[in-house]
Amino acid sequence: MGGYQEGIVILLCINCIAAMGVSLLTGFTGIFTLGHAAYMALGAYTAAIMTVRYGIHWLPAILAGGIVAVAVAWMIGVPTLRLTGDYYAIASIGLGEAIRLILENWQSFTRGARGFPGIDSYTTRNIAVAFFTVLTILMFNLIDSRLGRELKASRDDRLAASLMGFNTTASRMKALLLSAFYCGISGALLGGYMNFIQPSMFDMMKSTELTAVVVFGGLGSMSGTLLGSAIVTSVMEYFRDISQYRMLIYGLLLVVIMVVRPEGLLGNREIWSFLPGNGSGRRG
Amino acid sequence: MPLNFALSTLFQQIINGLSLGSVYALIAVGYSLVYSILLFSNFAHGGFLVVGGYACYYLLTQSGYGIVLASAGAVLASGVVAVLTERLAYKPIRERTSTTLYLLIASMGVSIVIENIFVIVVGGRFRALPQDTFPSGVFSLGSGVTVNASDILSLAVAVIFLGALQLFLSRTRWGLAIRAAACDLRTAGLMGVNVSLLIGIVFFVAGLLAAVGGIFLSAKYSIYPQLGNITIKAFIAAVIGGLGSLPGAVLGSLLLGLAEMLTAGFISSQMRDIVVFSMLVAMLLVRPAGFFGKRVGDKI
Repeated sequence: MGGYQEGIVILLCINCIAAMGVSLLTGFTGIFTLGHAAYMALGAYTAAIMTVRYGIHWLPAILAGGIVAVAVAWMIGVPTLRLTGDYYAIASIGLGEAIRLILENWQSFTRGARGFPGIDSYTTRNIAVAFFTVLTILMFNLIDSRLGRELKASRDDRLAASLMGFNTTASRMKALLLSAFYCGISGALLGGYMNFIQPSMFDMMKSTELTAVVVFGGLGSMSGTLLGSAIVTSVMEYFRDISQYRMLIYGLLLVVIMVVRPEGLLGNREIWSFLPGNGSGRRG
Repeated sequence: MPLNFALSTLFQQIINGLSLGSVYALIAVGYSLVYSILLFSNFAHGGFLVVGGYACYYLLTQSGYGIVLASAGAVLASGVVAVLTERLAYKPIRERTSTTLYLLIASMGVSIVIENIFVIVVGGRFRALPQDTFPSGVFSLGSGVTVNASDILSLAVAVIFLGALQLFLSRTRWGLAIRAAACDLRTAGLMGVNVSLLIGIVFFVAGLLAAVGGIFLSAKYSIYPQLGNITIKAFIAAVIGGLGSLPGAVLGSLLLGLAEMLTAGFISSQMRDIVVFSMLVAMLLVRPAGFFGKRVGDKI
């Protein structure tokens, strides 16, 4: 496998991990976020600073990246998860941008807008695939677990779910923390692959992309999220030569999908429910 | 810092803040107008502003029109693009589903499309409107306080346009229809309002106001494809004032402009954006519906 192909595999794994996190929150819990790139930034900066400044091994550094993202998400989530609909989405833009701006202005710690260079290439293909595999297995088990059903119930009808005895506030919080963890890990892996991170890599555009990928794949379909993320990542990579047109095509794709098939590629069904002989169809 | 120096800086920054806030208000009001009818955040609104800015630039430099004709052309162009956006992208979605999330995503797509059409067609570089487009004089108000003529002009034009909008909404039949639709679009339709035409008018007005804001921003800074990103500030202003409320959008914009300029004058200009986003978050925590917002529970 050539270096270029290998790079694409690594990027695919990284983007899929982040997209699964956002999918859990947006697709399965119904909380629409436009600021999750900030959690990737927190993970990336945590891992970079730990490995470069303090010489800590990459494995604990990546996990710490996830944990820092979770800690910040918890502080943010306690007050903001009371908000619903567009209001949470707008708050998440504000929070995401605020985190990015803090990273950009905290010169002494993050080197500011110039970016943070010299990160070891700890994200090899095998490591990326290993993280992706473990996190994917965990995620698919999670959405079929009690918590997963609780999330879907509170997404479909929050009032009914709470009348059934679910603590919907607590389950929304768990979804946010888990999604921040996935994005934190993904950011930490990204830093180890690019060897260089910069606050502008984690701007609102990146957050939008994360959410768009989830909608593209199908809200409420985890395999759809993976498929959507894989398609968008590879299209973006293979079209790198015509970079001018790349973003135009991406924007048009978003509009056309919303017009033609707003429910996304797979709707709210998982991919195996389309296989022959599986008439029941597991619904997400 | 000596007292009178601090005082004159204060005055100076208040005037700058009101001028900036009035430009935000033009953008925020259009955004809020669309929100009040369709209940979704139109992220393509920034694109309308960029269309207006570029149209004005090219009309001024290529066809030799004066600023009045060029602005009129720019405003028209933006209005048409806004209506086309609604007809081509939002209307088919509205007809299929009532989930506003899909409109939101589509509007992000439109915003990316508009921005990148300009990147491809005219390139990404910054262009300044011709020097003598707007009056460049400086008035002195005594004790070191000076005001740019262009700031006064932008404040005055914003007041005229917002006043005209207010008259349109309160005195005309279509204004009445728009206010009715803001209460309940479906019922307004059942009462005999031509909803499709009404939404078209709303988008035209929103595009028109965005273009006016875009022209002033192009004159103040310069015009480039990503200029539309500044609408994020107008969104925040609209949320602080209360989504869907026009007086709220104006109040939020002025507050935001003042906060930005006072931060720039007394703390540091790097802190401007952090202050803006902190204001948004603080407002959402304390009073999610904003100053004049209503029915938070309904707007899901």
